[in-house]
Amino acid sequence: MAPDDVSATEPILEVGEFYDLLTAQLESAYGRRHPRWVRGEVSKVYEKSHLYVDLVDAGSSASDAKRPVLNAHCWASQWNPLKRRLAADGITLAPGTVVNFFGYVDLYAPQGRIGFTVTEIDVAGLLGDVARRRQELIARLAHEGLLEANKRVAVSAVPLRVGLVASPQTEGYSDFTGQLLGSGFGFEIVLVATAVQGEAAPAQIVRAIQDLDRHGVDIICVVRGGGSKGDLAAFDDEGVARAIAASSTAVFTGIGHTGDESVADLVAHTRAITPTKLGEEIVSLVTAWYEVNVRLVAKRLLASSEALLDEASEYVAERRRTMIFAVRDRLRAEQRQLGAVRQRLWLQARHTLDSATRTLAGTRQLLGAYDPSRRLAQGWSIVTGPDGRVVSLLAQVHAGERVNVRVSDGSFDSTIDERNGA
Amino acid sequence: MSVTGDWNEAANELNAIVASFDEGEVSVDDLFTKLERATAIIEALEARLETTKARVEELAPRIARVAEDE
Repeated sequence: MAPDDVSATEPILEVGEFYDLLTAQLESAYGRRHPRWVRGEVSKVYEKSHLYVDLVDAGSSASDAKRPVLNAHCWASQWNPLKRRLAADGITLAPGTVVNFFGYVDLYAPQGRIGFTVTEIDVAGLLGDVARRRQELIARLAHEGLLEANKRVAVSAVPLRVGLVASPQTEGYSDFTGQLLGSGFGFEIVLVATAVQGEAAPAQIVRAIQDLDRHGVDIICVVRGGGSKGDLAAFDDEGVARAIAASSTAVFTGIGHTGDESVADLVAHTRAITPTKLGEEIVSLVTAWYEVNVRLVAKRLLASSEALLDEASEYVAERRRTMIFAVRDRLRAEQRQLGAVRQRLWLQARHTLDSATRTLAGTRQLLGAYDPSRRLAQGWSIVTGPDGRVVSLLAQVHAGERVNVRVSDGSFDSTIDERNGA
Repeated sequence: MSVTGDWNEAANELNAIVASFDEGEVSVDDLFTKLERATAIIEALEARLETTKARVEELAPRIARVAEDE
């Protein structure tokens, strides 16, 4: 523009004066007294007592050098209470977050920049956005089959080697380990300490799950005591959810909450509403196994041993009785057999004796007929020669020899005068 | 007259002796020998039983502690 075009009615302003004028104009339209809502996507965020945020149009490309940028800031006096509210609801202003800022325009002359002072943040809107993103994450995980992936992992019947992802300084840690260590079972706890809230927590939790998965524990427990949504935001983290789904070890969660379950809970193999409850569940798993596999077995073993010994004792006693009776029966049978034989022998002997007696009597009677005394009585005599032999032939004697003649009542000697043949 | 072998082996031999008596197969000459053998087996089984019972008695309280542990 040529200098001769300068209007005489429009004085030339110094820079400062110009900014004063501009500030007055902006303030009259968009200043402290005329605040308004502005929506934008966080492209850069920086916090150092105060909050500094660069807002751009949602969905605009970072490569677009001409896209409008609003340099917003929130002074510490207002940012601190806002920050606490956001944290309580688990909201973090991170690049990509679409946010509604309420505030007013200001002009910072030393840098020639128009800024936007934030006095209020649309938390409800942000919550809706967080919830929407959470639902989108859950839908994505479900679509990929990741909600059920870890649930299909087999759990050891006796999960005594417990991998623990927790912060050891927290009550949740104490509550959980107290249950396990107070159970009387020999739990071995392999702790990987992590932050359980804050920006660093998700990455640490992911690494801990992966480390414990490689370590070869029976189960991995992720525990965290109760807290606000903001405190528990790490457990809605996509990376944590994917690490749980990808774990070849069953992941149990004990994340204290009173509202919605965390995404980690949804993806986990087993979830409990508090670290204490999770500890109780694990102890009850081991107790149930112990009951069935140790106590009942011991009881059955005792009963079986007693029954077996009773049975064996009864067997031996029965065999002893049977043996005694069998031998007694056998001996009695032999005695009966011998008695019968003896009886038969006795009868047989008597019969033989009787028969012999009868035979003898007959013989005796027969012999009686031949008794020489009877012949002698009839007048017959018996002559014996000098040699004592009975003379039955003439040739046995000679004349002059003496012979003896036996008669019924005695005998006499006689001398042979002459032999006379018949 | 030693009794060797395990419980079942001894019990089988004893059962065979008893069966031979039941079936009248034992002669008087064999009776004493078989009775003596059966007695030896019975005494051996009783001795083993007593030993086993004593050992079980020792172990039973330990098992009972497990079974009754609350």
